[in-house]
Amino acid sequence: MNRALLRLSLACLAMFVLLLLNVNYVQAFEAGSLSTRPLNTRTFDQQFQYQRGAIEAGGVKVAESRLIKGTNEYQRYYPFGSAYAPVTGYDSIYGATGIEAAENKLLAGTDPRLAVHNLIGLLTGKPKLGATVYLTINPKAQQAAYQALKADGGHDAAAVAIDPSTGAILALASYPSFNPNAYTTLDGTKLDKIDLAYRKDPAQPLLNRAINAAYPPGSSFKVITSAAAFSTGKVANPQTTVPAPTNLALPGTTHVLINDGNEACGDGHPPIILAFTMSCNTAFGALGMKLTGPVLRAHADDFGFNNPNLTIPLDVTPSVFPHVTDPALTAYSAIGQFDDQVTPLQEAMMAAAIANNGTLMTPYLVQQVQAPDLTTIQNASPSALSHPVSPQVAGYIRQMMVSVTNNPAGTAYATANQQVAGVLIAGKTGTAQNGVNNTGLNDAVFTCFAPAYSPRIAVGVIVKGGGFGADAAAPIAVQIIRAYLGLK
Amino acid sequence: MTAAPNTARTAAAPGAPVPMPRGRRGTELLMLVFALAVVLFAYASVGLGLNGKLPSGLVVYGVAFAAIVGGAHLAVRWLAPWADPLLLPLAALLNGLGIVMIYRLQASGRGGNPGLQISTMSASSTTYQVLYSAAGVAAFVAVLAFIREPRVLQRYTYTLGAVGLVLLAIPTLLPSSMSVVNGAKVWIIIGGFSIQPGEFAKLALAVFFAGYLVAKRDVLALAGRRFLGIDLPRGRDLGPVLIAWAASLLILVFETDIGTSAIFFGMFVAMLYVATQRTSWLLIGIGLFLFGSYTASKLFGHVGERFTIWLHPFAGKNPAGPAYQLVQGLEGMGFGGVFGTGLGHGQPYLTPLAQSDFIISAFGEELGLTGLMALLLVFGLIVQRGLRAAVAVRDPFSKLLAGGLSFVVALQVFVIVGGVTGLIPLTGVTTPFLSQGGSSLIASWALIALLMRVSDTARRPAPQPIQDEGMTQVVRAG
Repeated sequence: MNRALLRLSLACLAMFVLLLLNVNYVQAFEAGSLSTRPLNTRTFDQQFQYQRGAIEAGGVKVAESRLIKGTNEYQRYYPFGSAYAPVTGYDSIYGATGIEAAENKLLAGTDPRLAVHNLIGLLTGKPKLGATVYLTINPKAQQAAYQALKADGGHDAAAVAIDPSTGAILALASYPSFNPNAYTTLDGTKLDKIDLAYRKDPAQPLLNRAINAAYPPGSSFKVITSAAAFSTGKVANPQTTVPAPTNLALPGTTHVLINDGNEACGDGHPPIILAFTMSCNTAFGALGMKLTGPVLRAHADDFGFNNPNLTIPLDVTPSVFPHVTDPALTAYSAIGQFDDQVTPLQEAMMAAAIANNGTLMTPYLVQQVQAPDLTTIQNASPSALSHPVSPQVAGYIRQMMVSVTNNPAGTAYATANQQVAGVLIAGKTGTAQNGVNNTGLNDAVFTCFAPAYSPRIAVGVIVKGGGFGADAAAPIAVQIIRAYLGLK
Repeated sequence: MTAAPNTARTAAAPGAPVPMPRGRRGTELLMLVFALAVVLFAYASVGLGLNGKLPSGLVVYGVAFAAIVGGAHLAVRWLAPWADPLLLPLAALLNGLGIVMIYRLQASGRGGNPGLQISTMSASSTTYQVLYSAAGVAAFVAVLAFIREPRVLQRYTYTLGAVGLVLLAIPTLLPSSMSVVNGAKVWIIIGGFSIQPGEFAKLALAVFFAGYLVAKRDVLALAGRRFLGIDLPRGRDLGPVLIAWAASLLILVFETDIGTSAIFFGMFVAMLYVATQRTSWLLIGIGLFLFGSYTASKLFGHVGERFTIWLHPFAGKNPAGPAYQLVQGLEGMGFGGVFGTGLGHGQPYLTPLAQSDFIISAFGEELGLTGLMALLLVFGLIVQRGLRAAVAVRDPFSKLLAGGLSFVVALQVFVIVGGVTGLIPLTGVTTPFLSQGGSSLIASWALIALLMRVSDTARRPAPQPIQDEGMTQVVRAG
């Protein structure tokens, strides 16, 4: 019987080998996906028993985990609350938003890149810690942006500032905002109430207007229409004259395009720089029809429009330039009306591309990630997203944008001229008409960069219902620039 | 060393160059101390993990458990001095870790987060488990004391067969209020006590199968027709295997317990194969089982559901519905990962019945893959030591009994651990030594006692002939 017993022991061995292989599969191979399954509350509960990594901006902590007294649980704390809310988002027991969500694995310490650090920590008995995320945000610019938006008087508004040479986002603010500290309670019922109140609020404080809300760009789109005109050779240089009638008849319709205030634009054949400075609708409407819709769309795409894949690493709502072929609608699209939609980030990207000699850098929010032992596990490497215009064309547009703020005829001369402070701002205003027959309040838009000939910051601002771009949006951009450049 | 082995050694010494096998009780004691140390460290670790301080019962439970296993060791020195030295420490280690995990589950969550109290556990669960351990060791000592030779059991082949069948049948005959716990109709509930008779029936039937097969093995081994290179048994000899199959199917249908049914039938087929050495029996047995379970899965909803849950645990509403328990267990194990959360740091109490059927997933969560593999290796070692005794013993009945009992441990571990980890459809059987509950623990200790008795018989040196006549055959008394 011993031979049969031997075979029986082989069968037993086989059973144990199968069990061992299977537990290896479950606990090593599948472990990650099992522990992060949405219904697995263990991972969720566990994260409050370890110190989540901090989020820092310019040497200041903007999110950190603090031990709740008398327990072994940590609670998230956001020292600057709503000012940074569109960037940090919140981390709650039900879920996270913003950087808290985008960098969750690193902050929670579950990222595979932290596995070795965690293992060493486990063996040496150190408590588990998350990685620290360093943002590109400049605290002065961020505070200035939020305060300026808030001071504007309750309009929906957002501002984004970018370092044009790298794409690093220096400020990203949205108003009205929310208090992320309200989301850090560990009490589920309380959290439900708070969340519901925020969601029901008609002011939509949870909406990140800087990247997730799109508005008509208005005349600020003339930057792109000009780029297309110069790049295609339809207009040779800023001094080339363009037709700019007082009334532009739109083919196939009874409508006419007029300039703001029904004013004439120069002598009707101004150089394009003057049309740009005064923001003449007829000049750019006619130019748009000459360029055609598809050509405008191609150039808009180069500036970052219609891109559903942009993440910073927060998901960015695509800015829209429509598929337009009808000449009349093309004329409207060329001056930023009709179906054109932009995010404040897109406004900043337009200025940044011109400021960076025609190369648009990919915008990003995370500069560096450091493991708990202070070794760097991720470092931002700036990369070009696209090359919308040549350096020569960028130079032409820069010249025109400088004229907008420094020529007494310019739309932003009164509000964005900072020569007294010693800095030259290059910008373009936008005032988008809203509502039926343009009876609604106008959206104010401003896209700019400074200093004009050695740019360090590009800013996009949109104030919904703010009125003229120059009046509402430009002063906000100026305050951000002054704060960032340290002007008195 | 107690007196018995010493006398044996001195008796053998004069003039005989024959090397005497050693009793190895010293090894057993050393390993037992090691097992005890592991258990006490684990217990201390639970307290530190939960509250940051040593558990208050450390000394009481520690001393109680040490006394229980120490008593078992002394009994072995007295009653089975030649028995395998590893079986007792391995069983003690598993039993101790089981108590530690039950204590941990009863205490639930960590200091700041009290966690869920398991409704099926009470504050005295740990104390009861320690008392059951004492009862288990008492059964262990009783088996060693009353059964001095495994062959004695052969006399009671049919008696024990009848006892086994009656034990199995009782729950099916009782009303649900006296036999159903958590949906399984495998209990006898009298007063406050509940007994799982199947655990004891397993031992009785193992003896019955061994006795019956040893008597009939020559007939059963007769070859009938040859088909595809395999000698098929004669048609008329199919009777016993068909009866065993029918009985196991009846358990399946009436007790809604596919696991127990698989274990009994598997034990029978394995022992039939060892007795006859005919591969054909193995194939017929496996074929019948597969056919039976497939048909059952089609005919009976609860069996079919087990298969669906096994194949698609994460599909649709399964994770929150019928597969909730399995998915909770798997998520816990996944959460534990390679090194586990550490005792007291996880949330194994989220899995329903973590203290009984799913205790393996609780270990997986808190001790990790490494801890779980260590536990499986301990079970594997018990099986290996049992099979070693089966190979070493000469008497065919003892051989068959030890082989069958070892195999049934392996099979039971395979069925429950495989079920909990998603390898095979989940069926509720206890995890030997680990699960909460007295019946399983007492039966497991009795099983270890039987294996040690066989091992003792196998390793006991034959009485030395007075004159070295070489050819004299020594016949030991039964």
